[in-house]
Amino acid sequence: MADKKVGKKDIAGLLEQWSQQFAVFAPSKESGVAAMAEWDGKDISFLDWYRNTVVPPKAIFLPPMEELFRFQKGKEGYNIEPPPKDKHKRLIFGVRPCDARAMAILDMTFEQALEDPYYLSRRKSAILVGLGCTNPCESCFCTSMGTSPTDQTNVDLMLIDIGDDFLIEEVTAKGKELIAKTSGLKGATKEDEAKAKQAKETAYNKVTRKLDTEGIKDRLLASFDDEEFWEKTAAKCISCGICTLLCPTCYCFDINDEMVKQEGTRFRSWDSCGFPNYTKMPMENPRQEKWRRVRQKVCHKYEFYPMTFNVIACTGCGRCIRLCPVNWDITQVIESVPARTEAKK
Amino acid sequence: MEQKLRQEAKALLEQNKVDWIIGFEPGSLKFTATPLITRDKNDTERLIINPFIVNNLADFLTGIKGRVGIVAKGCDSRSIISLIQDNKIVREDVVILAVPCPGLIDLVKIERLAGKDRDELDDISRDGDKVTVTVDGQKKEFAINQTLFDHCLACELPTPQEYDILLGEPGPPAPELEVSGQNIAKLKEALPAERWEFWQNEFSRCIRCYACRNACPACFCQRCFVEETEPQWVMPVPRWQDNLIFQIIRNIHVAGRCTDCGECERVCPVNIPLRSLAREMYGIVDELFSFKSGMDKEALPLMAHYEQEEAEDLFK
Repeated sequence: MADKKVGKKDIAGLLEQWSQQFAVFAPSKESGVAAMAEWDGKDISFLDWYRNTVVPPKAIFLPPMEELFRFQKGKEGYNIEPPPKDKHKRLIFGVRPCDARAMAILDMTFEQALEDPYYLSRRKSAILVGLGCTNPCESCFCTSMGTSPTDQTNVDLMLIDIGDDFLIEEVTAKGKELIAKTSGLKGATKEDEAKAKQAKETAYNKVTRKLDTEGIKDRLLASFDDEEFWEKTAAKCISCGICTLLCPTCYCFDINDEMVKQEGTRFRSWDSCGFPNYTKMPMENPRQEKWRRVRQKVCHKYEFYPMTFNVIACTGCGRCIRLCPVNWDITQVIESVPARTEAKK
Repeated sequence: MEQKLRQEAKALLEQNKVDWIIGFEPGSLKFTATPLITRDKNDTERLIINPFIVNNLADFLTGIKGRVGIVAKGCDSRSIISLIQDNKIVREDVVILAVPCPGLIDLVKIERLAGKDRDELDDISRDGDKVTVTVDGQKKEFAINQTLFDHCLACELPTPQEYDILLGEPGPPAPELEVSGQNIAKLKEALPAERWEFWQNEFSRCIRCYACRNACPACFCQRCFVEETEPQWVMPVPRWQDNLIFQIIRNIHVAGRCTDCGECERVCPVNIPLRSLAREMYGIVDELFSFKSGMDKEALPLMAHYEQEEAEDLFK
């Protein structure tokens, strides 16, 4: 079956249609920072400014904070009140391929390693509509990380900019089903498909930052005890949480109870291995020094995740480079990890 | 100026006058510089001075062991003095390489003026009171006070007063206080209820990354109150109420230490106008105590010393 296309000026109508069935999320700056937010029913100005959001779409599935349950202390112990069942079916419009890949990477932790009902209830019912990049950032390096500005692998539908229209690629069964029920789409021509092919090539070539990850797992393994290297690498890091909290593949969270009198709430909220408190235990903190925490961050993404799931937990979205207060650059760090033979014993 | 800096920094390491040099080297993105912290004299070749050396390097002093040669703009030098007053560092352990600073270029303002993101610009150059931005081969010219950080427009000390080596000619303070305080003035005109709503919105998107705290040289507590659990002063959950309380307490803790260097606002990844709070506190401290932190090395730390006559006022 031939692909469909949709006019750029018809996007509001398309989202309106989908809003009947889904809670539609789209890029927005309404909150004061670029993030995926519930679509307001009219604004599609993001088509002009949107390159990527500051807050990654993971925030929809693993929110910065959420209530896990409430509890009351009674005579017979605690009464636990689970949160109301999340019945929203979400459609995320405009997901970038790097962030879509990141969602697939997060699924490995929240589904394969351990089933997390909170995450999965939101994730499983959601549809990801990808939007191919036409203008990647200077900090982007997706083409080195197994994806590309127009990669359709991890979305249900993929939109490719072909001028006045977006070509719609139907990727999953879920995506196909949605398109079958959507009205007002046009059929794409051979010419449109040629334009899409061209657009993909152009976008691919615009990603100029490259990272060679060949053998990185082994290099990191061999350099684990190279204190001098890690100290140097960590020197300018200020141990804030920007690069982890806003990383689309970082998922660490903290759990806190808040109790007032006999009633309380258990919260889950984003946490970062960059924080000294992250590993603090009653007797000691195995990562008291900054270099140990920086090492953990790097190794988790480029060594431990590949060991567990056979994939690097970095998609080259470049947020950590763009947003870092001190310009700590993961690509420079990975490139500087000593080769096995040079590593100090 | 850069050549002199490189020579001086190299000499300091070679002559074993310092153990570390802290300065700036070119960043990995357009129009960025990045902190260089090194013991290697060969690295000093990479030291730079340009309108993008935005970090307050004094932030690194409390985390480093040994004697340090540090590149300091006026604002950095004020933070260094404030740390000396608080006994966090010793003057003799610091060699201040003073940079007369004509103000730093705020890329957020440039992006707004040019209508493009920073990585889409070909060039940004400054010549006196003009900044020229080249976009798609086209040159656009802007007045300098449209392009500098707000905190630079309010700068009272472009050239460090306290230094060991002066790099270049000291420049005059050129405060554009009115421009720099526009956001704060607007907030102060608003009704309390409107202000409350404004801050509620702003702090709703705080993710508690603590970049504001960690980039702040005045935030030097070994254990921050937000990390206390018994008692728990504030929840580590990013609810707007907790976020606001965190920031208000942080502002009170750095009162008399904050030099209005603007780092808290610059580093915030979710664009919370934190300098509005910091600057207001800076003004209140000046009004109540006639005290400006980091201006006078001999002054006692405002919130960490006590004079007997104060008791008369406080406990009537």
